[in-house]
Amino acid sequence: MANEPVTLTIDDKTVTVPKGTKVVDAAKTVGIEIPVFCYHEKLGPFGCCRMCLVEVEKMPKMATACTLDVGPGMVVRTNTEKVEKAQKGVLEFTLLNHPLDCPVCDKGGECPLQDNTFKFGAPETRMEFDRAHNLKAAPLSPVITLDRERCIACQRCTRYSDIIEDERALVMHNRGFKNEIGTFNNEPYATRFSGNVIDICPVGALTNTQFRFKARTWDLANSDTLCSHCGVNCNMTMGTRTNKLLRIQSRPNDRVDDGWICDKARWGYDFLESKNRMGMNKSRLSGDWKALTPKEAAVHVAEAFKKIADEHGPESVGFIGSAYGTNEELYLYQKLFRQGLGSNNIDHKTHPGSPGLPIAHHDLQDIETSDLVLLLASDPAEELPILELRLKKVAKRGGVKLAVLGDQSTSMDRYAEWSGRYNVGAAAAVCEALAAELAGSGAGADLAGRAGLDGEQIKTLADLIRGSQKVTLIYNPVPLSAAAHGQLSRLMTAMGQIGEISCGAIPAAPGTNAVGALDMGVLPDYYPGGMPLAGGAEAIQAAWGENTPTAPGLSAMQMIEQAEQGRLKALLIHRANPLADFPGGKRLAAALKKLDVLVVHDIMQTETSRLANVVLISNGPGYDEGTTTNIGGRVQLRKGGLKTANAPDWKLVSMMIRALDENAPEYAASFGVTAEIAEKVPGYSDISKKSIKKEGQTRTQPPVAQGAVESPSEQATAGGLRLRIAHRLFAQDAILDPSSQLSHQFQASTATLNEADASRLGIANGDPVVITAGGGEVRAQAEVSNRVNPGGVVVPRVSDEQDLMTLAAEDAAAVDVKKA
Amino acid sequence: MFAFNETSEKEIEKILGKYPDRQSALLPLLTVTQRQERHITPEAMVEIGRRLDLSPAYVQSVASFYTMYHTEKVGRYLILFCINISCQLNGCDDLLAYTAKKLGIEIGQTTPDEKFTLLREECLAACTGAPMMRINDTFYEFLTPAKIDEIIDSLE
Amino acid sequence: MTQILFKNINLEGLATLPVYEGQGGYRSLEIAFKKQPEEVVEMVKASGLRGRGGAGFPAGLKWSFLAKDVFPRYLCCNADESEPGTCKDRELLLKNPHLLIEGMILCSYACRIQTGYIYFRGEFYDLAQIMEKALDEARRKGYLGKNIMGSGFDLDIHTHLGAGAYICGEESALLNSLEGRRGEPRMKPPFPAVEGLYAKPTVINNVETLCCVPWIISEGPEKYAAIGTEKSKGTKLVSVSGHVKKPGNYEVVLGTPTREIIYDLAGGIRDDNKLKAFIPGGSSVPMLPAELVDTPYDYEALQAAGSMLGSGALIVIDHTMNVVEATHRLMSFYMHESCGKCTPCREGTRWLWQILSRIMKGQSEGDPISKLNDICDNMSFKCFCPLGDAAIAPVVSGIKHFRADYEEFLQNAATGAAG
Ligand SMILES: Cc1cc2nc3c(=O)[nH]c(=O)nc-3n(C[C@H](O)[C@H](O)[C@H](O)COP(=O)(O)O)c2cc1C
Ligand code: SF4
Ligand code: FES
Repeated sequence: MANEPVTLTIDDKTVTVPKGTKVVDAAKTVGIEIPVFCYHEKLGPFGCCRMCLVEVEKMPKMATACTLDVGPGMVVRTNTEKVEKAQKGVLEFTLLNHPLDCPVCDKGGECPLQDNTFKFGAPETRMEFDRAHNLKAAPLSPVITLDRERCIACQRCTRYSDIIEDERALVMHNRGFKNEIGTFNNEPYATRFSGNVIDICPVGALTNTQFRFKARTWDLANSDTLCSHCGVNCNMTMGTRTNKLLRIQSRPNDRVDDGWICDKARWGYDFLESKNRMGMNKSRLSGDWKALTPKEAAVHVAEAFKKIADEHGPESVGFIGSAYGTNEELYLYQKLFRQGLGSNNIDHKTHPGSPGLPIAHHDLQDIETSDLVLLLASDPAEELPILELRLKKVAKRGGVKLAVLGDQSTSMDRYAEWSGRYNVGAAAAVCEALAAELAGSGAGADLAGRAGLDGEQIKTLADLIRGSQKVTLIYNPVPLSAAAHGQLSRLMTAMGQIGEISCGAIPAAPGTNAVGALDMGVLPDYYPGGMPLAGGAEAIQAAWGENTPTAPGLSAMQMIEQAEQGRLKALLIHRANPLADFPGGKRLAAALKKLDVLVVHDIMQTETSRLANVVLISNGPGYDEGTTTNIGGRVQLRKGGLKTANAPDWKLVSMMIRALDENAPEYAASFGVTAEIAEKVPGYSDISKKSIKKEGQTRTQPPVAQGAVESPSEQATAGGLRLRIAHRLFAQDAILDPSSQLSHQFQASTATLNEADASRLGIANGDPVVITAGGGEVRAQAEVSNRVNPGGVVVPRVSDEQDLMTLAAEDAAAVDVKKA
Repeated sequence: MFAFNETSEKEIEKILGKYPDRQSALLPLLTVTQRQERHITPEAMVEIGRRLDLSPAYVQSVASFYTMYHTEKVGRYLILFCINISCQLNGCDDLLAYTAKKLGIEIGQTTPDEKFTLLREECLAACTGAPMMRINDTFYEFLTPAKIDEIIDSLE
Repeated sequence: MTQILFKNINLEGLATLPVYEGQGGYRSLEIAFKKQPEEVVEMVKASGLRGRGGAGFPAGLKWSFLAKDVFPRYLCCNADESEPGTCKDRELLLKNPHLLIEGMILCSYACRIQTGYIYFRGEFYDLAQIMEKALDEARRKGYLGKNIMGSGFDLDIHTHLGAGAYICGEESALLNSLEGRRGEPRMKPPFPAVEGLYAKPTVINNVETLCCVPWIISEGPEKYAAIGTEKSKGTKLVSVSGHVKKPGNYEVVLGTPTREIIYDLAGGIRDDNKLKAFIPGGSSVPMLPAELVDTPYDYEALQAAGSMLGSGALIVIDHTMNVVEATHRLMSFYMHESCGKCTPCREGTRWLWQILSRIMKGQSEGDPISKLNDICDNMSFKCFCPLGDAAIAPVVSGIKHFRADYEEFLQNAATGAAG
């Protein structure tokens, strides 16, 4: 058995570790350091640098501790004369042709080669000839600099590209003394995860181009924080100096990121210094623009909203938050609107998702212990990149089967044991089909057939599910229609009813804190912790007081409709940009202009903020501290690192609350709000400053209401093609603008359509096309392939300027595609 | 543009039948390419990668490990002159210099008419026939200046 | 002289099936197929046959190490023959391909293997073509394919060409190369017998080793074991090259004095020069001085003399040669052939070559001989695979036995510098 304990001695210390542990790791557990270069836990043993030689009794030759499994009764010595001579010898070989440019090397201060030489090396070199000279400081990509002279050929980076990324994009060329790392034909090494090689390179061969010569590593102030770009919430370290962010590094947390971060995490921070950041809190509610202090701003906004709520009723005010706020910000905003203004007009999303499904929520590590992972409408590579790495790992090396059910083919297909493609817009039918198949009703194949999936295939999938003991369903709620959400609930219930299977779901929305936003009740029909208004009024009043509103509120899209009708008078938008992100196009601007009061609280100036009467500065990531809940339900602390004179968001909102209720608590720090969340929000009672400190803590599954499953059938669209908007990691938006270091990753606008439709419409691969619907018009280049079924068109959202949302309707939209 | 010709395609079909794992066909396909083109271009590597489901970088990485694959075009006659120990003991250095002079090129170069390329080679497993050279697929042993003249002059 | 492998090697047409059969070829299969596979393994064990590729590991024992009950299994015949000085496999492959096929069938039957590969070095394109022809003949005659000779046993054998890399003769690098990877050696354990080709149990044997098996099965292991010495059984093909009058491959009974091989079989030293040194087993083994020329040519005696039998390549050096020049040439070879995976070998071979170059050019300072020795010590048994140890063999043995040759260069340099 893998976990069987083995006892051995290392330098006379007795060590007991699980079978299969490498001697180098066993030594670590008793504080013995065996030096390494090529060994890296996540990459596995390789044995090429020879730095870790040790003596083992009864072995004729010295052994490399990084490749040697512990054995019962083994006697290992790491400090004999022989070992020391070997270490000095290996270091001498390693340094033989390594330049001595430590004084100007960015790795200085955190360089394993420097450290090992200091601890284990000989005081001088005997190399009397010229060192080999090689290319210095050449771009390996726009963001990574390669210094070939410093490379010690440990193959960490190339093994990373092979084993972890599974791209084999960075490889070893040539052989022997001439070997060198490189890409195909010297093309840039620009994968989505390329930056991790900087962190794992044990010398200064691979460095962060932006960080070069910016600071000595020991002069940096490092703060342990989280990435704020997607719902995985990877852990990272932010290095700052003189209040400037200089670099991001990964900070391994196996429960979340498995040790890696994507390139957006590492380099997607230029927005911190963007010229589009909000300048100051200001208002023009009473005439001209005037600047406001935080306190003035809070009181001003709170009173304006209160006045309108008093005059026109609480239904005339509303709040649109975002999946990018922290739990504290989201919690306080819903509290302001519910307890302060008496309104349930609170929402954060445009898709009709539900706050949970009648099934357990799985965390990211459950993926590794599942025997089947079913991906539904999810494209992790673009939506949640580090999740993709974990899925590749388990599918390739972890013995987990992967089933992929989607309306567009994705990079995950090649790892799938089973994959099936349904028609764009037919997710509801497919879920219904699979549920029927699992329930044994016999209707499955027929239903699936109508959704464009082979009837037999769905049977195979059902068998795969039935043959599993633990199933994790990963779905992206964003592209799913209301009907699909309903059927998905039904499917999960059907899976839960199969005797032996334990299953759970991961709602894999791309938004950073999408789960937190649901948990914090930033929803018109749910209170924090998933307490439903429907049928739950009593419980809600028991928890939140008699005066708390219990009439269902308006969704974000409904609020905009009501604004158009003149019935919604005041709207506060936190960190959302409906004009760019909501379906509906030009109508939206007209609706927002009709409001008496539009307050936008955001980091950046956006199309929406330009319409506002009051703008409030949000500091956002980098500055403000707060917790977020990742797609696996893990609550972690996102620390700040940069200082600002602006009030943090939580403070501004709490001042608004106090403007309306002077008895409301005054929090000394964001953790004050966290403590209140722990007290008030079901599922969050275990969350505390202490409990989330190291690896975060999963919140417990909020009790999920087995809501009635409505299943309005999806509208068949006449003519045209159904539009599927695909998410892109490196889309050009307010956060990643053209001045970003990652702009080389931006893509052109494309439209993927099936060969059948293309030939009917006279479109050839590569043709420029125009896509139109509801007055909107988008240009793209056609990609004709079978990556999408007939009847659908997939258009990735590559840029805000693409104006893609002008085509979208709340449920999948019908569009016309024509050759331009 | 790179494309395999008919002979190569037939060969490839046979090769793919030999292995349970397609990647095993990588060296054989590189060999087929080189026999067709006399060298291996990046385009050919992309094509090989496509057929075997390997990244072009990986194909290049493997190809560059092995010295028999040429990324630059070599002459119609590739002369590999063994300079390893048994041939050294039998005077190969002088013979190699003789050959270079005869062809009017430096070691490592190709004649301007692209007829001959002359390379130093490590032991070719014909030590009992030292000094020796290999021209394309043929081994020539017990070389002398006269014999070298005869061999090279006989090549079309 | 007992001739097992070479008894009919120069017979016209031996490479064709009818002639080969006429010589009793493929007859051993009838004997083997009447036995249980395990019995065949026992016969090879009993014969005392040891690997002829270099390490001299007992063949039967290797076959018995295959991971139990794991299938499919593979046989890889090592026809990489890249060790400088060695060219005996080439002669077998060129002239008697069916002998290898027969040996591979026996091994496969004994080890329950259904697929075999012959890994040729890339430069053996011509031999691979000859082998393809022989394999076709064997297939057509039913020696390969399904249900061979009604035994119920299936086997096919394929050829595979490398492309210029000495290291691919090392068995695990060979496997990588056969799997379409860079020819870097693999970590051991797991050993190929447990996880070899495609991570399945795999037997790897040298051409000559496998070619011995038909005779052992036909004539009986006892007869084989009766040839040679106590621990070195049978005959060995020796490639004699260098400063001899009649270079060539000779089949000798193990234990034959080296002097007989050099002076009787190979006709003695060219121009009747004086023997200075000999490398008994290919460039990777230590060289020995002329005084040791009476050492019996077998595994144990050569080891006791401070060298190894290796691949059986006897490289003869006469008194006109300075050992440093030969060592420098070999170091250039090892530098060229180091795969570059591990640090001591990648860096060490180049460093040694640089120092040797400077010695020869009269440019060295300090005490280069001690430095060479110390660098060799830092490489010795510390590299990833045995190539690193092979690379230092000529240096360490050269300094040990022919220090004067080094000093000659150093002295010349000193006087040159003084003058
Ligand atoms: C650097 C190196 C090169 C080798 N080259 C060859 C070779 O060319 N041919 C060969 O048969 N064995 C070679 N070997 C030995 C093989 O690793 C392996 O031991 C042998 O093929 C096993 O077959 P055997 O037991 O029949 O000798 C080499 C070993 C090393 C370390
Ligand atoms: S670049 Fe760094 S990680 Fe890559 S092989 Fe060189 S030393 Fe190792
Ligand atoms: S760390 Fe063990 S060989 Fe590199």
